Amino acid sequence: MPQADEQFSAVRKGLLEFALLTLIAAERVYVADIMARLSATPFATQEGTLYPLLSRLRREELLDYEWVESEAGPPRKYYSLTERGEARLTDLGAYWRLLTDTLSQLGR
Amino acid sequence: MERVVTINLNGNSYQLEEPAYDALRAYLARAEAALADNPDKAEIVRDLEQAIADKCAGQLGPNKTVVNAVEMMRVLEEMGPVAGEANSEAPREEGAPGYEAPRKRLYRIKEGAQISGVCSGIGAYFDIDANIIRLLFIVAALFSGGAAIIVYIALMFLLPSAHTSEEWAAAHGMPFNAQEVIDRAKREYRRFADTTAKDWRSSMRAQRRAWRDDVRAQRHAWRAPPVATPAPVGYLTRVFAGLLALVLSLIGAALLIGFLIALFSLLNTGTVWHWALPDGAPLWLAIVVLCIVYAAISSPLAHLRRSSYATASGYRYYAGGADGLITLLAMLAGGALAYQVLPDFRDWVQDALQYLRAHTS
Repeated sequence: MPQADEQFSAVRKGLLEFALLTLIAAERVYVADIMARLSATPFATQEGTLYPLLSRLRREELLDYEWVESEAGPPRKYYSLTERGEARLTDLGAYWRLLTDTLSQLGR
Repeated sequence: MERVVTINLNGNSYQLEEPAYDALRAYLARAEAALADNPDKAEIVRDLEQAIADKCAGQLGPNKTVVNAVEMMRVLEEMGPVAGEANSEAPREEGAPGYEAPRKRLYRIKEGAQISGVCSGIGAYFDIDANIIRLLFIVAALFSGGAAIIVYIALMFLLPSAHTSEEWAAAHGMPFNAQEVIDRAKREYRRFADTTAKDWRSSMRAQRRAWRDDVRAQRHAWRAPPVATPAPVGYLTRVFAGLLALVLSLIGAALLIGFLIALFSLLNTGTVWHWALPDGAPLWLAIVVLCIVYAAISSPLAHLRRSSYATASGYRYYAGGADGLITLLAMLAGGALAYQVLPDFRDWVQDALQYLRAHTS
């Protein structure tokens, strides 16, 4: 749906943080993983967007990273959620349900 | 053949062709600009560099050690534009604090120039198609009896040529940034490819045909006797017309001298007869205004003169030539006389000569 892609970019942009927290909550990942996992979804993104966003979430202490040596190439940053990040994700999930419930009720 | 630049990205060295290196540097400069307010700027840029390095490594193999520009563009496109802080993603508005609209400057632009790029430069400055400026110049030249050509030549010497990309950007009033230039070049190319070259060629052909027909018709008109011979006029009328023509020629010559004095005085001192330009008014604008004023005054006079000559001599076709010749003679005679009699004028001529010498050598 390329048209939907264009039209709803603002919605996606707002939800990217949610998607990212959800993804990182499930498992420890590094940027290439994130890119690969998101590439097939509507949240497909680019490094230029991802790095600044990750850096902001880390500054807000929602996630953290640790360096892990890799067999090929330089060490990688593996991201994981902090406690605050977990709490934020729970809040976001609740808020998201509220939003979708509201939307479905408005339609009645 | 391209020069190869070796760079160090997070401890590993990579070899890039020079255009690829330029593109990378521009990308990183843009990233740093976008992240200017970000406390983690250094770290993000390092991460970006690492990601670029990984992607570059993917392009290389045992038989390929240098990244070229096309590959680098692909890598950077994959990276995507670096987003600033989430809430400042919209481009900053002009006039917002910290954003200074780039100052426009008038340059000559050689790209796409017909003669020397004066019109392209003016077009870029006003954001108008250069062809419209060219047309205006031609119309002005026709109506001002060539004064616009003098202005054109003056501008040719006065305006610096936009050689560097920075100057080019300043001529268009755009922020300069190598990535912008690359983006713009791509955009322009796409636009050109869209408006197919075929259209362009056929319109050129049509234009050439029109020109040819025009020239043929003119030649025909020259050979044929005047179609509408003016009704024979009386002797007295002709003498009167002749006198009028002479007087008008002298006025025309005086006007032309006045125009030249004003032009050179503008170029030399920035004033016209002790009247200084208003603050901030650019010199070239004053020159354009001067030319328009001159054309507005002189062209009706010239018409009157030509018809006077035509009435006096009875030959329509030679009126223009006779007019030009007599005006030139009157100007030379008037100039020589003024040079002898008026010390101010003598000074001015010497100033003008000095100016020309200084700007043509």
